[in-house]
Amino acid sequence: MIEMLEKGPRLAKAQNAEVGASKFCPGCGHGMILKTLAQTIDELELNDKAVFGCDIGCSLLSWNYMNVDTVQTHHGRTTPVIYGVTRANPDLVGIAYMGDGGGLAIGSQHLVNAAVRSENLLIIVANNTNYGMTGGQMSPTTMPGQKTETTPYGRDCDVTGRPAKGAEMVASIADPEKSFVARASVSNLRKLKATFKKALKNVDMGGFSFVEVLSVCPLNWRTNNVQTWDRLKTMEEFFEVKDFVQREGLE
Amino acid sequence: MTKTHKAIKVENVAKGKADWHLYTDYCKGCGLCIVKCPKKCLNWSKEVGIYQTPAVEPNPEECIGCGTCELVCPDNAIRVEKK
Repeated sequence: MIEMLEKGPRLAKAQNAEVGASKFCPGCGHGMILKTLAQTIDELELNDKAVFGCDIGCSLLSWNYMNVDTVQTHHGRTTPVIYGVTRANPDLVGIAYMGDGGGLAIGSQHLVNAAVRSENLLIIVANNTNYGMTGGQMSPTTMPGQKTETTPYGRDCDVTGRPAKGAEMVASIADPEKSFVARASVSNLRKLKATFKKALKNVDMGGFSFVEVLSVCPLNWRTNNVQTWDRLKTMEEFFEVKDFVQREGLE
Repeated sequence: MTKTHKAIKVENVAKGKADWHLYTDYCKGCGLCIVKCPKKCLNWSKEVGIYQTPAVEPNPEECIGCGTCELVCPDNAIRVEKK
């Protein structure tokens, strides 16, 4: 039975309450990641300091999701735009949010150079193993044998190479005294929140944070609710979920 | 005028310890909560969500009001209020 209630859904302060339902597809992992990020911003009381940048692709649909200052750029350029902001105003906490296409394919040079220079920002890469917005084509992180629009017989690693592992790549070049590099998953949102907390604290201390989040894409995977969580489990076996680099004194 | 929200309300779940709400203007019917529920007590509802797909509803006798569905919902559609 439908009733009319005066009390609305429980939203974090860092979430925009005016937009109603988000623009993402049913079951999209972006909703879970951004919700957890907003709760973390609330808990660390960074609402006035945070600057949120979203990339092109599905992550662009988060342009009105957050109740913090937001900027949108294209093709992985979120990283340089946000560290430009934090260089000009070091008190701010910069968050660059992108998908695996923006972060690891078209924008990978920005990611690499930001990691080498230990720029002061948090980079979140939502990895759903395909290009979601354009219809589910193969991305650098597509798993071996996975069927996508452009690999209808499954990804052949002899032709297309092995999947990119973003967190391992950044961990190998990041400065261990200034960085926090981790991979998390939307299957455990409490753990994801703990990871975001460490990452944002590190950024507040002036360091560089990189979090790759394993996400889900039920529409382009063509999976129902049970198969979606099963697919995420196989992803967690392939992409190791752990903290790779953690500077000293970070809890 | 205060804003009101359309919702499915299931009162007194978990032996009267909690109320369970689902906002049908937010629920997109993805069903991820059904798999994550530790008691497997969520089922498809007869009411529909924002995309005219079925929403979900718990069995009030089995629900323990743990709030896992609220945690996992990508669209903040579920609110479990402990009394």
